[in-house]
Amino acid sequence: MSLSIDIHPTGKGSQRVTLAGRLDTHTYEDLDEALAPLMTRQLHSLVLDLSGLEYISSAGIRSIFKARKALAPHGGKVLLVNPQPQIQKVLDMVKAVPLNEIFSSTAEADAYLDVMQRKVLRAGEEDDD
Amino acid sequence: MQMRLFIPREHARVDDLNASLEAVLANNGVSRAIQCDVRLIVEELASNAIEHGDPTRVGAEEHELCVDIGIREHLLTLEFRESGAAFNPLDQPPPDLDADILDRPTGGLGLHLVRQVAEEAAYQRIGNYNVLRLTLRIPTEESDA
Repeated sequence: MSLSIDIHPTGKGSQRVTLAGRLDTHTYEDLDEALAPLMTRQLHSLVLDLSGLEYISSAGIRSIFKARKALAPHGGKVLLVNPQPQIQKVLDMVKAVPLNEIFSSTAEADAYLDVMQRKVLRAGEEDDD
Repeated sequence: MQMRLFIPREHARVDDLNASLEAVLANNGVSRAIQCDVRLIVEELASNAIEHGDPTRVGAEEHELCVDIGIREHLLTLEFRESGAAFNPLDQPPPDLDADILDRPTGGLGLHLVRQVAEEAAYQRIGNYNVLRLTLRIPTEESDA
């Protein structure tokens, strides 16, 4: 079994990507390649749906770190949704994800993004130049 | 149950090794969770050996990685053996997990995971070989929460 990567249509600066299978030494390059063209200045959140991900190793964690570093300079975030117990355990062991960037469902992540989006809009109206 | 597997030092073969190990573990009634732990240990140690091993110091006939796996009652043991310069994976400094998440060095995560997942780990230099023995506890049906 390898990694399946499903890139959803982009919506309002947010991009959802569903991963299934294994994210490891053998597949992380596929993910890096798939994500690279999405990492634009316009992207403020990359939502990785991990419901179907069965296994992750340090190579996979480095891919998530890489995505986070690519988005950070313009304030973008990587959110993780519904990691299975093995995935959660590995993420915890290396403290890979701040707790506020991990969600139990896509609905929860969407609600969080809505709040963030409104904050950004409000900030934009306030310091409009 | 006790068996020994050899693979060439190639990333692609590590996946084959893990597929074989998974089949063996499943046949012995080992849970998915423990299968994942074993896969993680084997992948991290094998990748480390392949990426950091010095091929000039590895003799042609010793160019393989060797994994022994044993299951005895509630203990699963893994012995990982590779030739090359002496390297004790248990001696490496732990990664700085509390550094700012954006500045964190991403090296050392794999070996840290191995140390975390294994219940016990011991390193020995035997002749030209680095030998790492790891033990995992297999939860019994009753205690498997």
